[in-house]
Amino acid sequence: MAFIEARGIGRVYPGGVVANDGVDLSVEKGEVHAVVGENGAGKSTLMKILFGIERPDAGTLSLDGRQVHFDGPRDAIDAGIGMVFQHFSLVPSFSVYENVALGSEPRKGIRFDREAAIARVRGLSEQFRLNVDPMPPVRTLPVGQQQRVEILKALYRNARVLILDEPTAVLAPQEVAELFVAIRSLIEQGCTVIFIAHKLPEVLEISDTITVMRQGRTVGTVKAKDVTEHELATMMVGREVALRVDRAPRAAGAEVCTVSNLRLVNARGADVCRDLSLGVRAGEILGLVGVEGNGQAEVMEAIAGLRHVADGRIVVADQDIVPLSVLRRRGIGIASIPEDRIAEGLATGASVAENIVATRLKDRRYVRNGLLDLKAIKANAVRLIEQFSIRVNGPAVPVGTLSGGNMQKVVVARELSEQPKLLLVSQPTRGVDLGATQFIWKTIAAARDAGAAVLLSSADLGELLALSDRLLVFYRGRIVAAFHNREGLSPETLGTYMLGLSEQSPEELRAGL
Amino acid sequence: MNEFLLTVFSAAFLATVIRTSTPLLLATLGGLISDLSGALNVALDGIMLIGCLTAVIVSHYAPWYVGVLAGIGAGAAVGLVMAFFHLRMKADIIIVGFAIGALATGGTVFALSLATGGDKGTSINLPSGAVPAVDLSFLGAIPGIGPALVAIFSGHSLLSWVAAFLVFAIWYFLYRTPWGLWLRAVGEYPAAPEAAGIPVNAVRFWSLIVSGALAGLGGAQLAMFNFIGFTANMTAGRGFIALGAVLLGARHPVGVMFAALLFGAFDGLTNVLPGHYPWIPPELIRMIPFAVTILALLLFSYRAQRALALRGVKA
Repeated sequence: MAFIEARGIGRVYPGGVVANDGVDLSVEKGEVHAVVGENGAGKSTLMKILFGIERPDAGTLSLDGRQVHFDGPRDAIDAGIGMVFQHFSLVPSFSVYENVALGSEPRKGIRFDREAAIARVRGLSEQFRLNVDPMPPVRTLPVGQQQRVEILKALYRNARVLILDEPTAVLAPQEVAELFVAIRSLIEQGCTVIFIAHKLPEVLEISDTITVMRQGRTVGTVKAKDVTEHELATMMVGREVALRVDRAPRAAGAEVCTVSNLRLVNARGADVCRDLSLGVRAGEILGLVGVEGNGQAEVMEAIAGLRHVADGRIVVADQDIVPLSVLRRRGIGIASIPEDRIAEGLATGASVAENIVATRLKDRRYVRNGLLDLKAIKANAVRLIEQFSIRVNGPAVPVGTLSGGNMQKVVVARELSEQPKLLLVSQPTRGVDLGATQFIWKTIAAARDAGAAVLLSSADLGELLALSDRLLVFYRGRIVAAFHNREGLSPETLGTYMLGLSEQSPEELRAGL
Repeated sequence: MNEFLLTVFSAAFLATVIRTSTPLLLATLGGLISDLSGALNVALDGIMLIGCLTAVIVSHYAPWYVGVLAGIGAGAAVGLVMAFFHLRMKADIIIVGFAIGALATGGTVFALSLATGGDKGTSINLPSGAVPAVDLSFLGAIPGIGPALVAIFSGHSLLSWVAAFLVFAIWYFLYRTPWGLWLRAVGEYPAAPEAAGIPVNAVRFWSLIVSGALAGLGGAQLAMFNFIGFTANMTAGRGFIALGAVLLGARHPVGVMFAALLFGAFDGLTNVLPGHYPWIPPELIRMIPFAVTILALLLFSYRAQRALALRGVKA
């Protein structure tokens, strides 16, 4: 019997969504076991059951040969299971050691024994080659380090099994490499790692065994060395997939958007970027590459009108748009697919139809004499739901009840139902399943082919390389490299620039710009 | 003018500041605890008022310390009620707070008239106990500064010294014990303590109870030392000033102590100014602490807004 055995796990959420339906998982001691599947395949639910957050409606769970029941995370932690979520649960103002010790503090009388906590955290960090200083507040740390603080938290509680939920989603390639070093060191010292992911090359690199899930069931378990990326993708989706976009080579047209000498500042008044210039032409996709927090998101926000411009010009269609409101900018043909669809892209309590019409409240087709034309709005929504194959039971359904992929399709439908001059796209497929990803990519590429200038920023280098015609690498608010996207441009090359390890000469930059 | 300044910088005035600050400081500490746990306690004023009345009535029949304990108990009970509605019944904490406030304003007058047999203004027919003063006149033996020390520090309510100790105790609790770490974590980012297996709701529950207890203690001090006896709406907005003091004190025990002293000083001025400037209407003077609170909050809001504006968020 395997170290961790889950047999016939079933979980139905209130509302009737079947998240797990007879799922089996067996993990051997001391291996890296990946669980892969599209969003909505039931991976997260299974992990929440393993960690005691959800209770299964059916099935059994055993650990080290003994059957176990977890009534909450505490039980799972006591049984030696630790979990690192995609969204970290760290208190921003607390130091690393305070975060790690929180809830299991060493005590001296009634006092929190800080020295003991610091020593313990430092020891664990060295033992598992995590390379984390216990003293600084976590909000000052980069994402990769914060993630390792989460790993420390689990180890501090004597976890022998570590569940990592999509750990690479937020990391740059070099940070992924560091994470993998830590994972290997964990395995060497007898830990077991369960690794949730959907980026297949990484899965194949780090894991020993892979369990594939689809629509709440396990499709199969394979050894990583016996399987190819293509086979895995087919298992995940249940049909052949081609994650390729055919980019018809075409000559880019006139420059649609010109950003010159842009300066943006953050809350503390420090520069986010200064003296930044770039241009996008009609019919090209310009990819903005960079680890999150290096200014690319802020530049997009500034163009969209969501961020104050401290200095510089943004010219779209021969007009400086800096003084224009968001509405006026939309009027001249700027469309925007924002990074956080729930916070910025949609009103989750409103219906699909209302969300789709939300940017057109001055359009006489939908609003007449200050009154909504509900029939026209509904007809428009029905048409777009069909055209963008949004899976929803009608236009009146609240957007918040849709899956991530379908929510994103609602945003895409709204922004691209009319051909924009300039399209701003941030993280278009974060948390979106493969099928929807393929669709969204095609839609963006179609907008480009129809002559839109597209600015794309994404944490997923694969996405940037698949879609972009040109790529600009941001590091600390500056453009440090520019490339034409040709065969042979690798994520590793981009990674070196993303982490500031090297920088192009002005001549090379000019060639790419 | 000179005479006025002499008064303000006199030992007697400093003693007045300590005296007027004490109930405010106790309520402020209560506000600090609930604020750090993530709940803005707008019921502080009402809880103080309930503490006042309870302390007065109980101390009529029992020794003074039973009256004080009853004030604390009544405050804690109101905190418990708030916690029940907010955490168990999922009601909005601000709405619950204002409901408690409205209940306290009317309820205390109603209870007063029942207890005194019809009197709706004051508890003059119900002589209450007083918190004893701490006599430090032996300090006068110190050569040089002795008399000044006596003038400033002697004769204060025992609860003033308790309040000063509580500043230290709460600081120690918040920054030196595991439970203080829990409380701050719950207030700042509840997902983290939740994931660490800390009973987040229990922490919030206890915070509201302790917050109420401290406001109740502040009420007891107000009605059994600053004034003897209960008057309708005698807190006069001190609970709201306390909320301002929490923010002005940067949500740190020592900071809020200084903020409470500052507000106490303005309160003291309302006693001193009319003697020197009789032409200033007393109503205007009584507005000073509120004006200062509003200015302080505006300053904070302005700083927060400017930070947001720099981040590019448009209001």
